[in-house]
Amino acid sequence: MRNLKTDYFEDLQLFKDGLQLFWSAVLLLLLFALPFFVKTYYLTIINLMAVNVVVALGLNLLVGNTGQISLGHAGFVAIGAYTTVLLLKAGVPFIFALTASGLVTGLFGVLLGIPSLKLEGPYLAIATLAFGLAVTTVIGRMDFLGGRMGMNVPKISLGWTGLKYDQSLYYVIIIITILAVIATRNLLKSRIGRAFQAIRDSDIAASAIGINLTKYKLYSFGISAFFAGIAGSLWALYLGFINPTLFSFILSINFLVIIVLGGLGSITGSVMGAIVLTYLNLQLEDVVEIPILGDALLRFSELFMTATGVSNVSWFLTGFILILVVLFEPLGLYGLWLRTKIYWKRWPF
Amino acid sequence: MAFFQIDNLSKSFGGLKAVDQLDFQVQEKEIFSIIGPNGAGKSTIFNCINGLYKPEQGKILFKGNNLIGRRPDQIASAGIARTFQNLELFAHMTTLDNIMLGRHLSMKASIAAVLGLSFKRSKAAKEELQHRRKVEEIIDFLELESARDQFVSNLPYGKQKLVELGRALALEPDLLLLDEPAAGLTQEEREDMVFWIKDIRDLLGITVILIEHNMQMVQNISDRILAINFGKPITTGTPEEVLGHPEVIRAYLGEDITQV
Amino acid sequence: MLGQLIVSSLVVGSIYALLALAMSITYKASEVPNFAQGEMAMISTFMAFVMLSSYGLPFYAAMLITVVFAFVLGLLLEFLFLRRAKMPTPLNLIVITIGFQLMLYGFAGWKWGSDQRQINLPFSESKVIFQNDIFALTELNLATLIIAVVVLVVIYLLIQRTKLGLAMKACQQNINASRMNGISANRIMAITFGISSVVGAMAGILVAPILTLDPSMMWDPLLKGFAAAVLGGMKSLHGVVIGGLLLGLVENLFGFYISIEFKSVVAFAIIVLILYFKPSGLFDKHYVRKV
Ligand SMILES: Nc1ncnc2c1ncn2[C@@H]1O[C@H](COP(=O)(O)OP(=O)(O)OP(=O)(O)O)[C@@H](O)[C@H]1O
Ligand SMILES: [Mg+2]
Repeated sequence: MRNLKTDYFEDLQLFKDGLQLFWSAVLLLLLFALPFFVKTYYLTIINLMAVNVVVALGLNLLVGNTGQISLGHAGFVAIGAYTTVLLLKAGVPFIFALTASGLVTGLFGVLLGIPSLKLEGPYLAIATLAFGLAVTTVIGRMDFLGGRMGMNVPKISLGWTGLKYDQSLYYVIIIITILAVIATRNLLKSRIGRAFQAIRDSDIAASAIGINLTKYKLYSFGISAFFAGIAGSLWALYLGFINPTLFSFILSINFLVIIVLGGLGSITGSVMGAIVLTYLNLQLEDVVEIPILGDALLRFSELFMTATGVSNVSWFLTGFILILVVLFEPLGLYGLWLRTKIYWKRWPF
Repeated sequence: MAFFQIDNLSKSFGGLKAVDQLDFQVQEKEIFSIIGPNGAGKSTIFNCINGLYKPEQGKILFKGNNLIGRRPDQIASAGIARTFQNLELFAHMTTLDNIMLGRHLSMKASIAAVLGLSFKRSKAAKEELQHRRKVEEIIDFLELESARDQFVSNLPYGKQKLVELGRALALEPDLLLLDEPAAGLTQEEREDMVFWIKDIRDLLGITVILIEHNMQMVQNISDRILAINFGKPITTGTPEEVLGHPEVIRAYLGEDITQV
Repeated sequence: MLGQLIVSSLVVGSIYALLALAMSITYKASEVPNFAQGEMAMISTFMAFVMLSSYGLPFYAAMLITVVFAFVLGLLLEFLFLRRAKMPTPLNLIVITIGFQLMLYGFAGWKWGSDQRQINLPFSESKVIFQNDIFALTELNLATLIIAVVVLVVIYLLIQRTKLGLAMKACQQNINASRMNGISANRIMAITFGISSVVGAMAGILVAPILTLDPSMMWDPLLKGFAAAVLGGMKSLHGVVIGGLLLGLVENLFGFYISIEFKSVVAFAIIVLILYFKPSGLFDKHYVRKV
């Protein structure tokens, strides 16, 4: 029997059905209307979330889809950020600086990929980690990059929008993030994305069906780094000031936490992970400010721990959440989301 | 010149000679079986042919070109596809995606091009749909409709074997290497497999080299058989000649091998 | 000068070697690089500090308690977390150890704040105990070398000569088969993590006097220990020890003769370069999956 579905394009289009289109449109409208309703502070939080989304998309492509671990993504973000600042200082218009940052970082990704081709597991972990470490050490020594002191990031000219700088910047970041999501989605649905996943699941079979492992691993490293570079560029703009300590090993770990929490290999996961973890980090930063709970925690700390060290609770909880996710929901927030969806579909039966 | 020919092939692991100065030839559109006890070196031959192992010496000639030194992906693009003894599926992907991956070599869209995939008019989308149709034909052919959208790791073993076969067929190869395609299958599934392998040769005109332990199946399906032991050939010939050969029987510990 | 440099390298290298060995023991058993290794050592070192300074216990009693504590900590990581993962991928397990690392790091900061402390060991890091024309050795240097050698020998004997070691090897080769042979693979795995944690704790206590005692004290040493293990080949016990000593040497020589600031970077660069040619380290065979 021939199957009934003849228009296979349904599987390629962005929105599965009218309902999905509707909700996406609502979300988009909301995002675009936001600057007119909320304080700048909230916009900066969303900016940070969005930047993390872009890094997570790229990292997930490499880790979740291609199966190659990276503990050095902060290094790529740093390269993107510094490239942008240098170019902006040289008077290059932002759009070119952004593109160049992505491309330069992507090139570094390929360069890191070359020695990493044959490496697996802990060996790859060390190679990428070493890369991240090298980037910040070298930047710290370069006077034209501001050394340890860092550099101010020039403001870009967004006056033509007629909006406040923060508002315009918000739009820039949001638009680029949305484009990044769509690009990743199309990439993953394509022959290239499939090849990545094939390498992850069985490199031997992948090569036997004609996938050039070298080429596609380098693609994956390059594209992943490209995203990190773009994110670095945006991050620099949003922070207004950068120095090498921002891009530490801890930041690389943080990115990894985002994609694991969100869901390895899933775009929805990258987005959800970045949003939730950014929010969580901000909340936990001043954990004692949380009503009731904060007081109790402070009392507890005074009695059994130290009151000055109470902010460290955030590390403890992040670690604990990470373990819980791996143990109970290996697909992360995305898995949780899938399950709720199924649950609601069946409801009320 | 033979369609496919192996000359003086040797591959060893440490001191162990897994394949030892082996020669054989396969004619176009033949179903050629390789038999031999466990550890005889059968899978190693396949691994040498498709470039996973680098043999120490010998030639592997396919349509007159030596394949030695080429990477597995280059050998795939030369027109040789294979399946694996213990399944090497893309476990976290659907049946459809697994077989679509078999089309990888015939698809050309670049990174820039695939960014337009969600537009119906884009080149990437057109290419994708064109190959999707081809894959749906394979799914029809192997009766995998019910498995199409399932993750392959959730499929029963027999179906997984078929998906792997489908993926290899999607390459539209000239030569297909099947490493124990019927191992672990039920009697009924095995009969279906025989039927498909014959179709693959008869309808699609693909030459098949088959490794198989089930002697009934080998007898029933093969044009010619090569029996090996310790990496060396025992004999080559028609099923009757080979399965009746005293040394072949001895290699299988004197069992009546048509019943193994 | 060179003589002194080499001796100092050996001292630092032997600490790297201990950490590398700690990582290698568990990696061989579970294929998980334990990112929490450093924090486990850090917490154990704090334990020693509390026993020595707060409770005023004699050194040997404090050490004994610390060893037991470290062992239990290793057991807990395996028993509470790693064992609970269902059909885990290697990445899943790595992430669990990173989670445990963050938990311990947060806990230490919470419990002890960020004050810098000094641990008092019975061997001083300034008093020179041995000196000749070529090099000088402090009490701490000597203690470090001796303890490192003792630990290495004990671990070697444990793995090569005891039933436990045999069981550990059996588990590495094939978890399912050894389960059938009546060895409880789970228990062996937990004990392996316990032993590894003790080895790490030794390294922690030995570096503590050089560094200051604070929650992040093990970051750099662990990275180096991990790198040393990778350099030697994660699964080769003698390989990782040699890796540790080599790394100490490269780092110190480069740091002295060329640039102190880039010494870590160069050490890592060399490791990456070596991995390019030997993707499973210097002393481990590169494994290719059979199909
Ligand atoms: N990658 C490898 N490393 C080491 N030894 C190997 C490797 N691959 C195969 N061998 C050895 O080579 C010999 C031949 O193995 P091969 O897999 O080719 O046997 P086979 O004929 O396919 O057997 P079976 O019927 O069990 O599949 C065996 O002794 C095997 O252990
Ligand atoms: Mg075989």
